[in-house]
Formats: sequence, C-alpha cells, structure tokens
Amino acid sequence: MNAANTSVYSLSSSSNIKRFLFYKDAPQRSSPSRLLLAPRASAPKDSKNENDEIQKQQPSVSLSLDDVNPVGLGRRSRQLFDEVWRKFSGLGQISRTIRSDDQEALDALLVREGPMCEFAIPGAQNTTVLVVGATSRIGRIVVRKLMLRGYAVKALVRQADQEVVDLLPRSVEIVIGDVGDPAAVKVAVEGCNKIIYCATARSAITGDLFRVDHRGVCNLTKAFQDHNNKLAQSRAGKSSKSKLLIAKFKSASSLDGWEVRQGTYFQDVVTAKYDGGMEAKFEFTENGDAVFSGYVFNRGGYVELSKKLSLPLGYTLDRYEGLVLSVGGNGRSYVLILEAGPLADPSQSRLYFARISTKVGFCRVRVPFTSFRPVKPDDPMLDPFLVHTLTIRFEPRRQRPTEVNATMNQDLRSFKIILEYIKALPTGQETDFVLVSCSGLGIEPSRREQVLKAKRAGEDSLRRSGLGYTIVRPGPLQEEPGGQRALIFDQGNRISQGISCADVADICVKALHDTTARNKSFDVCYEYIAEDGRELYELVAHLPDKANNYLTPALSVLEKNT
Amino acid sequence: MVRKRREPEPEQSNKKQEKSDQERQNLAISLVPAKLQWRCSVAQTTLAFPNSRSIAVGEGRGRREWRVKCSSGGEIEKGAVNFGPGSPVRATNILVVGATGTLGRQIVRRALDEGYDVRCLVRPRPAPADFLRDWGATVVNADLSKPESIPATLVGIHTVIDCATGRPEEPIKTVDWEGKVALIQCAKAMGIQKYVFYSIHNCDKHPEVPLMEIKYCTEKFLRDSGLNHVIIRLCGFMQGLIGQYAVPILEEKSVWGTDAPTRIAYMDTQDIARLTFIAIRNDKLNGKLLTFAGPRAWTTQEVITLCERLAGQDANVTTVPVSILRLTRQLTRFFEWTNDVADRLSFSEVLTSDTVFSVPMAETYNLLGVDSKDIVSLEKYLQDYFTNILKKLKDLKAQSKQTDIYF
Repeated sequence: MNAANTSVYSLSSSSNIKRFLFYKDAPQRSSPSRLLLAPRASAPKDSKNENDEIQKQQPSVSLSLDDVNPVGLGRRSRQLFDEVWRKFSGLGQISRTIRSDDQEALDALLVREGPMCEFAIPGAQNTTVLVVGATSRIGRIVVRKLMLRGYAVKALVRQADQEVVDLLPRSVEIVIGDVGDPAAVKVAVEGCNKIIYCATARSAITGDLFRVDHRGVCNLTKAFQDHNNKLAQSRAGKSSKSKLLIAKFKSASSLDGWEVRQGTYFQDVVTAKYDGGMEAKFEFTENGDAVFSGYVFNRGGYVELSKKLSLPLGYTLDRYEGLVLSVGGNGRSYVLILEAGPLADPSQSRLYFARISTKVGFCRVRVPFTSFRPVKPDDPMLDPFLVHTLTIRFEPRRQRPTEVNATMNQDLRSFKIILEYIKALPTGQETDFVLVSCSGLGIEPSRREQVLKAKRAGEDSLRRSGLGYTIVRPGPLQEEPGGQRALIFDQGNRISQGISCADVADICVKALHDTTARNKSFDVCYEYIAEDGRELYELVAHLPDKANNYLTPALSVLEKNT
Repeated sequence: MVRKRREPEPEQSNKKQEKSDQERQNLAISLVPAKLQWRCSVAQTTLAFPNSRSIAVGEGRGRREWRVKCSSGGEIEKGAVNFGPGSPVRATNILVVGATGTLGRQIVRRALDEGYDVRCLVRPRPAPADFLRDWGATVVNADLSKPESIPATLVGIHTVIDCATGRPEEPIKTVDWEGKVALIQCAKAMGIQKYVFYSIHNCDKHPEVPLMEIKYCTEKFLRDSGLNHVIIRLCGFMQGLIGQYAVPILEEKSVWGTDAPTRIAYMDTQDIARLTFIAIRNDKLNGKLLTFAGPRAWTTQEVITLCERLAGQDANVTTVPVSILRLTRQLTRFFEWTNDVADRLSFSEVLTSDTVFSVPMAETYNLLGVDSKDIVSLEKYLQDYFTNILKKLKDLKAQSKQTDIYF
C-alpha cells in the first residue's frame, strides 16, 4: 500500500518526498488518512516552486521512493554482494552449504514423494494405510517403508507408552486399541484405503491366539467392509468392494425359481434297464436349511439344481471375478455350470464348468470365473457378462470318500448339500488387505498346531470377506537387513528357509499396488541353495535393477484364490 | 529398543591391556585431544614427525606463521578391544553422522528402507531435523566438536556411517579433524564393529587443500586405529549441480562457472547410498579403500551446456577464470582475518590443475556385484529433473490461468 501511495506523491509534488520519508519512518505510518491529507495541505503553500521543481525532477520520477531509501539500498547492495560472493566463493570450494530454500526445492523433487526419489510410488500420497501391529518386528519396518514412499500411515497399537510412540515416525497417526475390540478397530479403519496386518499373538495361550490371529483379522475385515460400504452409501451406491448376493436361502420362498433336473451323459438303453435310477429333491427343511439331496445310481447319470439368474438392475457379473458359495453337507464334490450367451437367443448359449469340492460340515468355496472351462473345448473363455444360468450338478463319477467317514461304508452315489448363500466376489485391481501369517516352520512343535489353527482361521475369514487379499506366509523371521538374498515364492507348504523381516516388509509394501498380488496366498523364504542338478526351484525372476520389482514376475506364476 | 551394551570401565580395561600385553603402553584411547596429530602452533620451525606432512596455510606478513600439521603415527593401539561379555549388538543398528547433509539423508533413507534401525547424530539446534524422525529414524543430539557428547550416542550401535563434513563457513579443524578423531577414538573404545568413512577422491594428491588434507589424515588415522572399516572416496554429487546450475538457469539468473579443465565424475547420492550398503555387508571389503565415481567425468562448461540444452533456454553464464579465484585466494591469505576465506577458496588450487576426478568403476562394480546399467548417468539425472520441474511449472501456470478470469 505504501508503495502505491509513494508513486502518487512523487508525481504530484517533489517537496513531499522528504515529508513522506519522514512519515515512512515514523511509527504512525500505518494511518493512511494522515498520509493522504499531507500533500493536499501542503499543496497551496508553495505551488509555484513546486511546479518548477517537478520539471527538474522529472527524470528521476520514475524511481519509486523505496529505491532512494538508504536503509533499503544498503540492504540490497549487501544482498547483492553476498549473492555474488557466495557464488564466487562457491566455485573454489569442494563442499558447500546448501541454503534452506535450495534444499526445499531439491527436497520437493528428491525426497518428499518427489518423482525423482527412488522409493516414490505414484498414488502413494492419496493412500492411507493402516498398519496393525506397527511395533512388531515387521511392522516397524513396514511403517518406515510406507513413510519413505509418501503414504499416509495410521498405526493401531495396543498401548501408547512413550517408548512405543518413540519407535514410530512422528507423522504417523496413532490409534490406541486392541484388535480384539471391534469398537477400537472401527475407529482405526476410518479413512483408510488399505490395511497391512502384521500383529501376532505374543503368547501361545489359546485365548491370545484366537484374539489376535483370528478374531483380530475378522474384526478388521468386517470393520473395513463396513467402512467401505458406508463410504459407498454416502456416494449413493454399493461399495465396489462388497460382494453381490446372487441367492440366499433363508426362507421357503427363496427356493422359487430353482429347478431340479436329471439326466445322463450317454444314452444306453440296455444298461439303463438295470440301473437303480436316480432321485433328487430341493426342499426347505423345518430347521431353516435349504437342502439339495438325493442319489444317483445310474451309470453316467447326474442330477442338477439350476436357476436363471436375476441380478439387481445395473449389476453385471463382469464387475465380479468369481463366486463364493457357503454350503454344508456330506463332503461330495460338485460341478458348477454356468450358461452364458445372449439372453434373446438361448441357442447360442455356451456351457462352462468348474469342479468344486466341499468338506463335511459347513464351508465357503471360492470359485473364480477364470477356473471355468468351456464344455466344448473350442468355445472361447467364459465372459461373466453373458452368464444367465447357474447350475449345481452332482454326479457319482470322481467322488472321493471323505476322511471322516472313511471307516463307515458310505455310498458315494448319494449326496446332501445345504445351501446357505451364493455371492459374487467383486473384482479390483489391487489388494486391500495384506496379512502376514506364518508358515509352520520355526514354531516349537508343541504349540505349532495351535498357532497354525488360529492363523489359518484368520486367513479364512479374510478370504471370504470379499476384500482383495494378499496373505504372506514367511518362514522363520531373521533380524537382518533386507534385499540381500534371493527369495522363493511358493504355494503348498514346501519352504525350508528363514527370511529377514525387512524382506517381508518389502513384500507387504510392494503388494499394495501389485495387481498380481491380489487374492493370493503364498509362502516366502530365502533361497535354498541346492546342490547342482538337484535344484528344487526354477528361477522366475532375476532383476537386480534399481526398481527391482521382483514381486510381479514371482507372483504371476502362482495360483489365485487359494 | 536400544539394547544396552555394558559400558567399559576405564580402569578395568587398562588392567586387561596390561595383563595381556605388558610391553604395550597404556591404552592410548582418550577423549582428550592431547595426542592429536594436528599441530597448530605459532612456532617458526617445522617439527619433524615421521610420516608427517605439513602445510603452510597462511602467512601474516611475516610476523606470524600458521603451521597446520597432520601426521598419523602409530600411537593408537592396534587390535580390537574386548570388554568381555555383553549382550550382542544387532547388526541392524547403525549410527549415521551427518544425517542432514546431501549424502547423509539418502544414506538414512536407504538404511531405513533396507530394514536397519537408524540413529542419527545431529547437532543440537533450534530447528531440529524433523524430517529424519518423520522417516522413522531416531535422532540423538551431539556435537562432534564437543567430544564428551559422543560416547552416549554410540551405545548399542553396530556400524557407524560417517558422512559428516563441516560447513564451509565453519573453522575446518574443529569438526573435520578434532571431531572425527574423537569419534574414531570413541568408536574404537566402545567396540564399534564397523566404521564407514567418506573421503574425497584424490585427497592424497592435494595436501594444499585443507579439507582434502584432513580427509586424507583421517583415512590414515582410521586405518591405524585398528577399527574394522571401509573408506569410500567420492568425486561429486549430482544433487549439488541442481542448486548450482539447474535452478539458476530455470530462474534465468546468472550462472557462475569457471573455465577450469577439471573434470568430475558426478554421481547420484542415491546410488552412493545403495552401493555403500552393499559394501558394508560384504565382509571381504573390510579395511578396503573404495572409490565411487559416476559413469563419466564432466567439466563445468559441459554441465552448463547440458543444462541449457535440457532446459531449452540459454543460460546467463558468468565465467570466472580460475586465475582470478587463485588470485583472490592468494590475496586473502595475506590477512589473518581473511584466512578462513582463503581456506574456503583453496579448491581453486585443484581447479587449476587438470585433475580428473574419476576412476574406472568396472572393478568396483564387479566387487559389489552391481550392474553398471543401474548407475544413473548425469544426462539421465538432469533430464529427469528438467522434465519433472518443467511439468510442474506448466501445471502451476495452468492453475494460475484458471484463476485469472477476464470479462
């Protein structure tokens, strides 16, 4: 404001320069009214002289008064000299002090999630990750890695001791609570996009194991799904992360539309005479169960339960990547058949099948659409968008006796299946929930079973939650720096080596944005150095480069939805 | 989570030493800089020391003569000091000295990412180094120029990584020599298992530059200390070029350069950090001297030309002949009160020679098992910088345009 006024004065009357300077330095210069009045009051006094002077001073008029201010001039000349000297002397130096503003400009690019930082991940800034068990051996490193990559991090810790808080980077948001407490968990997932769960029970007490390794995972998945749904509702729609209900068998009327059919794979008139026939029914029992049961004594015969799907308006199965069935029964295997084709022309429908096996008692079965094979081998792969009919078929072929009833003389040609629900699993690009579980290695044999049971239960609850999951089962943990040795990714409990905590943490962080990591469970350990010719593993990836994204090639060969 | 290592009691350790080796003198490890090999005397004569160097830093019109001398005699006991059993220190516990510097911060980040527990020795200052704590490092306050503050920071530490260098405006001796000597002695006394020291390439060839001379002496001191160590000599940081050339060119300010023929093989500090940790974990490299250099050596003029090309605009270059730099240095040496300035300009002595700050790296890459393709070249680095910064500037312009609405 002063500067603006200044130019006005210098144009109108030069004799005011002094006066103005006086005002400028005077303490009450902040009162603009006085400044404004000053030139008018002085104008009539000696207007003639002034007019002469104005003409004399015209050339210098373009200078603003600030330029003439001796204090400012001195300061500026010193700045100029300093700048020149700094640059000049900089030429003759080896090390130099980086000025704070230079450093900031550098940091913006190099350090703070800048594009030139080797750790930076695009999209990290908009992602909030909840780390559960942030003070555990793996958790600590996970938190640091996330911070380096520019994520916003929330940490769920049991206690807020000073010691605990000091362990975590300062800008981590700390939520205090136990994973066993649903209320605390609900607060923790607020505003989170992804979860990394690396808490483990500190003792082998069953209660502890159950609370942390099983209940905890369960609580978190639930709270996270609730949170997602809530967000989705506020945007007027269902969450893209929630499952789509295809059928729920909770009342007698829910059985409408399902029809029972029977048939045979081949028509043999002669043998058919001696066949025992087949029988199947689908009914709603008094206990409130929807039971599909019967027997097939015919050779090559089958019975099936089928329904034309009616999805809610606006939903198509192409946004889903598989089916999950909650069923109970006597442990037979079934064939799921999807009929796909344009609705208007049933003759163009193609059939796709996938075999599922159930356990005795209740279980949830995940069937990814990718596991469906065309009945006619020439047909193209299943397009979930076109699916219109779902069939569950029982056939006596290829049934295996269940272990529990092995002693009993069971007839594999009879079956019983209780259907609870059928849902479609949503697709997603990335994993939502990374769970660090364990391979059974390195646990004392006496408690191994207990620990594994709790861990597996936790894994199961995550798998059926519908969230995109990645389950990492590391070998025995070692406190070593990471990135030193080759890793083995495997499925099927065959690993034999340990692994460093830092490597596990690295896998967790990499898995967050890796599409191949979604819905996978795998074991991981250090490379086992076998003798020549007796190698157990093939080298999938050897990428010692800077980006070093070993995870994608390593995981792309592994099975999904296991 | 810091595991306490049993503090050695000085008397005990002395006893042990005497017992084990009667002929040896008492443990020469003391934190009092009594036996420092830098002599700063007003005497006219040069004291002769075996394997010592002396340089005259300045003359005060014949009245006074400053003698700065550095020697590394065999005064430090050799062999590891064993203080008996104590809880073992985890190999992942490291201390980074100079963590706020250009190289230091990359070391800290790399270490954290590789799963180390990082402690940073930082000078107590009004604005603490918050960014280190944000990344997950622990910060301890200590000052190398106050030796009594050092021992506490070394408790429970396995490896010390020393990437500290005094700022140009500080008296060079306090931090870079006395501080380092105290740190090394302390590390030795407390049984630190590895000490990584960053030095300057060619430091043995330019004793006339105080910083290089000090680095060279520290190297010798460290070697004689008997500590398990790795010395890494560096040439130049690419990060430094950005503040010096890239930013002024973009801001259309004047860029200062010399016409020196000296070539420097600049290297990305992130690469240095990466290679460092590979070297630390390789036990075969204990006691070795490594030199890290970038893929190609550049003169100042070449760097400026490269920046101009990438920025797409001509720089306003002020070329200062090296002879002027030298002259200034000579002039400032005449007055005691400008001696600091003379010290600061001492690098101009190196610039006049056509030294090349570079070494062939093939062997080092081999030793470390690194692919030379992974080392960033200066072209690539500056190109990344300019594309990113120009994009950012464009975004900013686009934003400001949106707010300017004309009717």
